[in-house]
Amino acid sequence: MLNIHNLQTSVEGKEILKGINLQVNAGEIHAIMGPNGSGKSTLASVLAGKESYEVTGGEVLFDGKDLLDMAPEDRAREGLFLAFQYPVEIPGVSNINFLKTAIGEIRAYKGLDPLSSKDFLKLLKDKQELVELKASLVNRSLNEGFSGGEKKRNEILQLAMLEPKLAILDETDSGLDIDALRIVANGVNKLRSENNAFVVITHYQRLLDYIVPDFVHILYDGRIIKSGTKELAFELEEKGYDWVKDELSAQASPSL
Amino acid sequence: MEKGIFNNFYTYLTGAFAGRQQAARLTEPGWLTEKREAAFALFAEKGIPSRKSEEWRFTNLEKFLSHEFKFQQEVIPERSGLALEELEASRIVIVNGRFAADLSDPIPDGMTFLDTKAALADARFAEKLGTVADFPDNPMLALNTAFFSEFSVLHIEAKAVVEKPLHIEHIYTSHASAAFIAYRTLVVAEKLSEATLIETFHSEGGAPVFVDFVSEQQVDEGAVFHSHMINNVGENVCFVQHREVCQFRNSVLNNSNISLGDAGMIRNDLNFRLKESGTETNLLGAYLVTGEQHVDNHTLVDHQMPHCNSSELYKGILHDKSRAVFNGKVFVRQDAQKTNAFQQNNNLLLSNQATVNSKPQLEIFADDVKCSHGSTVGQMNKDALFYLKARGIGEETAGRLLMQAFVFDILSRIEIPELRDFTEELLHKKLHTENLVIA
Ligand SMILES: Nc1ncnc2c1ncn2[C@@H]1O[C@H](COP(=O)(O)OP(=O)(O)O)[C@@H](O)[C@H]1O
Ligand SMILES: [Mg+2]
Repeated sequence: MLNIHNLQTSVEGKEILKGINLQVNAGEIHAIMGPNGSGKSTLASVLAGKESYEVTGGEVLFDGKDLLDMAPEDRAREGLFLAFQYPVEIPGVSNINFLKTAIGEIRAYKGLDPLSSKDFLKLLKDKQELVELKASLVNRSLNEGFSGGEKKRNEILQLAMLEPKLAILDETDSGLDIDALRIVANGVNKLRSENNAFVVITHYQRLLDYIVPDFVHILYDGRIIKSGTKELAFELEEKGYDWVKDELSAQASPSL
Repeated sequence: MEKGIFNNFYTYLTGAFAGRQQAARLTEPGWLTEKREAAFALFAEKGIPSRKSEEWRFTNLEKFLSHEFKFQQEVIPERSGLALEELEASRIVIVNGRFAADLSDPIPDGMTFLDTKAALADARFAEKLGTVADFPDNPMLALNTAFFSEFSVLHIEAKAVVEKPLHIEHIYTSHASAAFIAYRTLVVAEKLSEATLIETFHSEGGAPVFVDFVSEQQVDEGAVFHSHMINNVGENVCFVQHREVCQFRNSVLNNSNISLGDAGMIRNDLNFRLKESGTETNLLGAYLVTGEQHVDNHTLVDHQMPHCNSSELYKGILHDKSRAVFNGKVFVRQDAQKTNAFQQNNNLLLSNQATVNSKPQLEIFADDVKCSHGSTVGQMNKDALFYLKARGIGEETAGRLLMQAFVFDILSRIEIPELRDFTEELLHKKLHTENLVIA
């Protein structure tokens, strides 16, 4: 579904991703872990199409299509979804109007008829229950005045409404208490299927108790330096990031 | 001669004055003829204000007044009832400045509306003409005083609480050649009255029209006066308004000034004189300009006495080669201790060929006051735009959603639902976002 080959990007002349390789197939859940500043959000943003990141090398195929060549909105319409680490507050745009517009545009892109207001509201009600988000929040301006946890749950609500093929969750667990974390994880688990895939970016192994990954990758200094199964996450939690760093420098200078 | 504009229109006016005075002498009281004489002398000397005058630096009337504007014969409008049909209101129609009784509704109890003849015959109002906006040096006011053809009065009786809004529809009809329309109104809201006045401005298209409108308003002690202006004239109209409002003890004045139409040019001078203590003044403004539209709002909130609150929020969006001017003066005079004055003007500048001149101007001579002001000119918020696009919303739609939200911040504060809906419709029409609204 997603094929990243030797992806390199820079921001304001600074090299951040230094050759990422990653393959995600339908039905899989991948976790990406790594210390702050290693480039996790950069990877997510580049995949979603944020303009301020310059791709300096490599390629990304999404269902065989050149992802990097598409406008951000087309990536979303093709089924890519990014749950933002820091969702943006947009005063004056109501959550509900926003969702309806997004669904309308995605359906139009796919050549589908617009959803009737009734069907839309029915869908919204179902999904809202899934993420346990109060109706009053759904009617408010997009993310405006939402708590950190409410913003994250709102991201998952959007995910549930848009039903993407590939969802990237950028530290959706950060700042969530255990109840909110369970709600978010529960939402993801209900949405996962043979036909979609998730890339879960996280700092902590904790989330992976709830969303069990098929693969775990460690991103460090713009590279994936280690990949494994969910046991890798436990090992990382136990030994800390220094362990990987040490291993890495041991590899880099074997003569020592 | 000084820094004015002395173009063909000026020459036409100065040539026409004597003849008009002669005719006016037959119908108008002597004091008015004299007033016109004095005003004309000033106008003749100063001319139409040019960009060399500080107040007109960013609005070049020479450009807009290059047509051969002339006084025109009376015309009947093609239709009235152009806005706010759903609103439960009493409608007054003013055609090219003149009260059209046959198109208007009866006036609610507690209010009186007088046409030119009745107004000039009633000493209570006639003697106020030109005394609220009494600035003998102002050539634009002088132009109106010398040449206005119609004068109507809205009177709200003391203690009258009029629930039903009064909706004045100003219609400028289509003319075969460039038309000059100068007229004025006077509003007197007496002690402890409460009323709502909605004014909508419309035009029929055709040849260029220059509208010169003056409104003098007196809001007496304890009165509450809600006023709304929705300017919906067409691109053939150059609309210049001077509005002078005097507020007395404990009175409340709310004003919204909405320009979401196609006007070629709008210049508003809105002055609020807070003459006694305890008053409240709330000003809202929204403009959205495209093409070569030009909207200039000059506002002045003049705190003369202690314990007055004023708050002003204007927001606008500029596209294409349009231009917007915001000049917001706030004076806090020496006696005006304990003043609270807030002012903000935010602009979205969405084209590098558009221009915005935003100038807050605070002059504070009292020491125990709370004043804040701000002015921003920005582009579309990139993070917000990306967020919307990342959800599959196309660049254009995303932009419109953000623009809509920006202006909606103003419109959502209009407390009359039908009026708010009407302004939202105008916004959607202008942004082509009709299909974006959820039922
Ligand atoms: N817009 C930006 N401008 C400059 N530097 C940036 C920008 N975004 C990210 N960076 C830098 O890129 C590196 C990776 O950041 P990021 O992708 O946010 O890491 P992570 O999500 O793993 O914490 C950091 O050194 C950060 O400072
Ligand atoms: Mg990050």
